Amino acid sequence: MNQAEVRIRALEDTDIGDITALDEKLGGKYRPEVWERRLGYYMRRDPDSSSVAEADGRVVGFMLGEVRSGEFGLEEPTGWIEVLGVDPDYRGSAVGRRLAERVLESFRARGATHVRTLVDEEMAGIGDFFVALGFEPAPMRPFVKRF
Amino acid sequence: MSTRQVELPKKYHQAIVKWSERFLPDYDFLIENWDRFFPRDPEFRLCAYRELGMCTKIECGDMEGKPKFDEAGKMHPKQAGHLLGAIRAQASTEFGSIQQHQLTLARAQDEEEQVWILRMMAEELRHGYQMIHLMLEDDWSAVSDHSEDDMVEQILSMRTGSHILGAFNIDFDSFVDNVTFCALIDRVGKFQLAMQKVSSYQPMAESMPQMLREEAFHLAAGVVPLRRYMEKAAQGSFCVSTSDIQKAFNKWFPRGLEMFGDERGGGTNVRFGLKPMKNAEAQQAYIEEVEKVVRDLNVRFVRARLPELSPAEAQGVLEQLLTDHGAVRGISHEDLVHMPDSGFFRRRGVPAFELIGWDGESFAELDDYLAHLSRHLPDAYRAGRDFSQYVEALTRVHSGETTAAEASQEMPVLTRVGGVCPCSKSVRWVAGNGSNGADDRGSADGVPASTL
Repeated sequence: MNQAEVRIRALEDTDIGDITALDEKLGGKYRPEVWERRLGYYMRRDPDSSSVAEADGRVVGFMLGEVRSGEFGLEEPTGWIEVLGVDPDYRGSAVGRRLAERVLESFRARGATHVRTLVDEEMAGIGDFFVALGFEPAPMRPFVKRF
Repeated sequence: MSTRQVELPKKYHQAIVKWSERFLPDYDFLIENWDRFFPRDPEFRLCAYRELGMCTKIECGDMEGKPKFDEAGKMHPKQAGHLLGAIRAQASTEFGSIQQHQLTLARAQDEEEQVWILRMMAEELRHGYQMIHLMLEDDWSAVSDHSEDDMVEQILSMRTGSHILGAFNIDFDSFVDNVTFCALIDRVGKFQLAMQKVSSYQPMAESMPQMLREEAFHLAAGVVPLRRYMEKAAQGSFCVSTSDIQKAFNKWFPRGLEMFGDERGGGTNVRFGLKPMKNAEAQQAYIEEVEKVVRDLNVRFVRARLPELSPAEAQGVLEQLLTDHGAVRGISHEDLVHMPDSGFFRRRGVPAFELIGWDGESFAELDDYLAHLSRHLPDAYRAGRDFSQYVEALTRVHSGETTAAEASQEMPVLTRVGGVCPCSKSVRWVAGNGSNGADDRGSADGVPASTL
């Protein structure tokens, strides 16, 4: 796949169907109601920052996030990268990096001084992806309690 | 990205607040419950936003590369007149849509969808405020005889039936109209705002980014409920059917197409650097986007009706339905939602008052066409004044009493009947009959520059 054929742009309402389909391709579950709610949220909060990669008229990657302050005692405006998905057919085409460049630039323009994300250590390659983008491990640790 | 927030002079700000008390009575409820419905979202503020750091060179047209205009007085009078016409039209649409949404807001079946529409209405109020900010911040005396008070008063006096663009003169009949309007008519708004973001008039360009951010959610406030309706319809709900949605599309899509202006026009706006696309080009991009919306709605329907199918199988069923127009696995072609033909039910532009059917078919007899329309439009809409006026105009065109071009130009003309205070609730501009006599071919939004 020629990288030039992939266009990176802001998230739009017409992407809901494609992102639902891509999520199903990645995770094996059809969850339209999840993505209708979730994308409605990002379009309400910060449609500029959340981004998609489009090729051949469909979404082949997406990165969702927003700038918030006050999370976990972090008062500085922080860009949070919360959801990332890339079509396996387009991996190795720098789609993730290009999405991140657009999202990070938008976070910066919105006044963010830091960008944070959480990575599942069991998902090989995701941590390396963020390290390659200049992220470094942070001293905060996630905790979870199960019911 | 950084923005500058500007509040209007007090009397105009108060005039808009007064207007909202009448036409957006749930505004205070929304503000008081903002944190409940939209936790952690920035508080809503009724003000104008001006984006800082935008391009300062004209981006299209005859003067491309030259500095953008920071004052209307520095523009050619025709250019400024065109621009003021667009600002007035934009303001009219923003206030007009609130009046329409209010008619059926209470009929929502779902609280979340209702609150989304309410938020959207508040943001449309802000968009109207933004346009009035543009009217008041500059000196338009070279292209308008109206004082600032008169211009504001005229905008705030418009009612459903007297707005500048046709789509904003049509009553809503149910909450399906609220969400379909967001999905189709606000989408036209998005195209207009995106084009105006490159305006050669810097204050206009700087006004667009915040409006566009808000407009993105307005589209979602239409598309997400429509997707949910398709799921319910596929599962056999008696509360909403694809026929309801189809008829709402038939009602609004033609008006959306007409908001781009005559398909042959728009060149003046491009030459003046006010917009980067001519009418037909922008309209075609809009059609392609609506096609995607419709396809996604149909996928949602097929997947909900046949959950056992894989994604590829569901796509296959949809393709077969669209190709054969028959029935597959219990779903018929009529169960889906379809794009009306771009010539269907038109009253402006190239196909105005032609007898073109929903599927693109031609009709020879007027009565047959009216019967066709009655099958494809919502019952409540057909009983309203907009449809009766259309039928009356269509009848006159086909009897030879008037031409399609003349009938197209018929739109409400506001006549001032007295009063000076924009804070008053009294109507001092009334809608009369007749034509404004203007040709909208040169305008990308169908708004003649000469309406002032």
